[in-house]
Amino acid sequence: MPFIEELIKYRSCSIVGLAKNTGKTVSLNYVLGRLPLDRMRIALSSIGIDGETTDQVTKTAKPEITLQEGTYFGTSEKHYLQRRLVSELVDVSDENTSLGRIVTARALTKGKILLSGPSSNLGLRRWKTSMEKYNIDLIIIDGALSRMSLASPATSESMILATGAAYSANITNLVQKTAFVVDMVNLDLTSEENRLRFNDIHTGVWAVDDNDELHDLKVTSSLSTKICTDGIEHCKTLFMSGALTDGFMEHIRTKKIFKETEIVVTDFTKIFLTPILYKAFVRGGGKISVMQKSKLIAVTVNPTAPNGMVLDSDRLCKTMSEAINLPVYDLKQCD
Amino acid sequence: MIDNLDTHSGFARRMILDTEMPTDARIINTNYQILKEFYDVVNNQENQNQINNLQFKLCNLKEIGGTITHLRNKYVLDDIELFEVKHLAMLAGEVQVVMNSLQLGESIFIPNLEEVVSILDPDGMKIASFYIYDSYSPRLMELRRIMKAKDDFDEALFSEMTSIEDEVRAKLSMQLSKFADELEAAQKALAFIDLNLAKAYQMIKYDLCFPTVSENGTTEYEGLFNPEVKDALEQRNRTFQPVDITLWNKPTLITGANMGGKTVVLKTLTLCQYLFQYGFGIPAKNADIAVKDEVYFCIGDEQSIEKGLSSFAAEMKNIDAVIKASRGKRKLLALIDEPARTTNPKEGTALVSALVKVLEVENVSLVMTTHYDIEPNDSRRLKVKGFENGSMNYELVEVKDGEVPHEALNIAESLGIDKEWIEKARGILIMSNSTQLNISNSIGLDLKWSNTTTLGKEKGGKA
Repeated sequence: MPFIEELIKYRSCSIVGLAKNTGKTVSLNYVLGRLPLDRMRIALSSIGIDGETTDQVTKTAKPEITLQEGTYFGTSEKHYLQRRLVSELVDVSDENTSLGRIVTARALTKGKILLSGPSSNLGLRRWKTSMEKYNIDLIIIDGALSRMSLASPATSESMILATGAAYSANITNLVQKTAFVVDMVNLDLTSEENRLRFNDIHTGVWAVDDNDELHDLKVTSSLSTKICTDGIEHCKTLFMSGALTDGFMEHIRTKKIFKETEIVVTDFTKIFLTPILYKAFVRGGGKISVMQKSKLIAVTVNPTAPNGMVLDSDRLCKTMSEAINLPVYDLKQCD
Repeated sequence: MIDNLDTHSGFARRMILDTEMPTDARIINTNYQILKEFYDVVNNQENQNQINNLQFKLCNLKEIGGTITHLRNKYVLDDIELFEVKHLAMLAGEVQVVMNSLQLGESIFIPNLEEVVSILDPDGMKIASFYIYDSYSPRLMELRRIMKAKDDFDEALFSEMTSIEDEVRAKLSMQLSKFADELEAAQKALAFIDLNLAKAYQMIKYDLCFPTVSENGTTEYEGLFNPEVKDALEQRNRTFQPVDITLWNKPTLITGANMGGKTVVLKTLTLCQYLFQYGFGIPAKNADIAVKDEVYFCIGDEQSIEKGLSSFAAEMKNIDAVIKASRGKRKLLALIDEPARTTNPKEGTALVSALVKVLEVENVSLVMTTHYDIEPNDSRRLKVKGFENGSMNYELVEVKDGEVPHEALNIAESLGIDKEWIEKARGILIMSNSTQLNISNSIGLDLKWSNTTTLGKEKGGKA
């Protein structure tokens, strides 16, 4: 079984879909169905809503999430009451979502559930911590990139990316776009020193100059390009607590003080750069690194798009695998 | 002070914010007796483990008012609500055990909810989790066995199971509905325990005292301090000078230099009255406090541009409310900070003098600060000792005459305010005292004077 052995080495894993209908739920069910549940305890939650029987946006059929007996899961009150299995309620948290509080339960029979979860990083972290008392070996988080959620999948130790024809219908284009995301996921972790220095900064953009002094650039929004660089001769490291956008990059790239600067972002989900701009920055001697990083275990592909378009699965997997140097699976063909 | 209270459940905090101020001396007394028991237990190092255990349990207290209302109205509860009921019932039992071992069991009554637990824990597993257990229905048990054995999801089977589960829920909800009051009482009792623990810890942290309930209507503080100001001073390595003060049903006027802590005294008195009636520790060495029905605090700085009220108008309206209330029978504590300070001194003095007379009634304890020289009357006068040897003495002393201190210039000087301004003011005072002229006429004199002093080279304000 591909990548399951690798997966169980980690304590948490996010399964991330690059777009709707890229087969994230298929990947999730594949993993859930193959983990050795006789010797490990699994807990499952999501950042946002999942497990709808029909896609809320495109109204296409979607598989529900199937749980095996013994699996713990965190979901919202509303979805808990719609479950189609017997389960034992173990906790009702104070964590509120638009679908009610987050409840945690243990499946007593096999069956299907609707999954939703905490909608902020802090909420997700609290839920993960609360799972410690049940001796969970692996926490799986269903996390979409395209979804409007403040919680980031990068808080997990490992990650599985789901991509497919829904993301782009042209193999070359799809491979390029996916490879860029993979590059972002694989960005280096910044130095220990930087991680300590920036750990407690939650707002603004900050520069470290060559004398190791920290300056607030007084940026009020990620979309604003007004920065105050008074008293900075050269910026060695730039820390961005929010998003790194094309507009911002465009603005600083040409400035002398940002030559060969290392830009540190909290995690790869905060990067909203087009590949061209990113590559130009790197070619100019710049570097982007992250505060938090997940180990990318595998990429899964769904060659079918919701509009009926089907790509050649074998060719897609092969081209993709060559481009990103990682195993790529079409899980529908793996059985 | 409530913000500084370390309660372990949000519910306890909300409970105190939702409570009306107790005005019954017996209730206040009982609350302090209970708090004293907690205080003694908390103060005993040997109890530390048990107390930590208690606090840990109280962290799990959740507000389930909505669920209890559903129960009382005989609605069918869903699994989550049944879980909440079971959770609370088990928690109440566990807390009772700890309370007993701390010998606090008698001070607070927690209803016995064992029957609720046994309804929701048919297998006697004593775990705070819940589902519709197999043992509620033999048929359900059988169906579940069949379902487990099958590989595929059987829609018909599942819907039969669901309808049996619904019946079980309805039956459980009926059985539980008669416990709604007990559950509510248990929830409140646990929050009350949490609150008392937090109050006891607050007393130790801020060095607060247990007050006695005054029987003769007099309020007496010895070594009164303001915890907030004290904290702020200590952070700057300075100490707060506590004050002694007694209030009875006669107006008390506090005069004294600016920056003499008059407003702080009023604020602290207000705080203490509330702390007392809500049963908190009091920031003083000793306190004997009279119960009041209402507390009025007029700080006089409430101009509202939106409402079109000037400072003066806002203040007059506030004080008017006090006077209206004073005509009733309720016992009031009125604390008024420098009334009529924003109008001309002549009318201001008249207003303040009259206010003291109006509020000189049996049911009002009035404490008022002022800078005006108001004519002597029956009220007591306290004065902040004021500037001594270059530093401020905040002690309050009783004075016989109505003379207000004249230290504003000294204090302004010590603040490093512009010398020219101060010196000119001093000159004006000297001239007006010696010529017995009204200050309002002194601008003419100012010019003459300024020519004869060292500052004379500079131009006077009106020149």
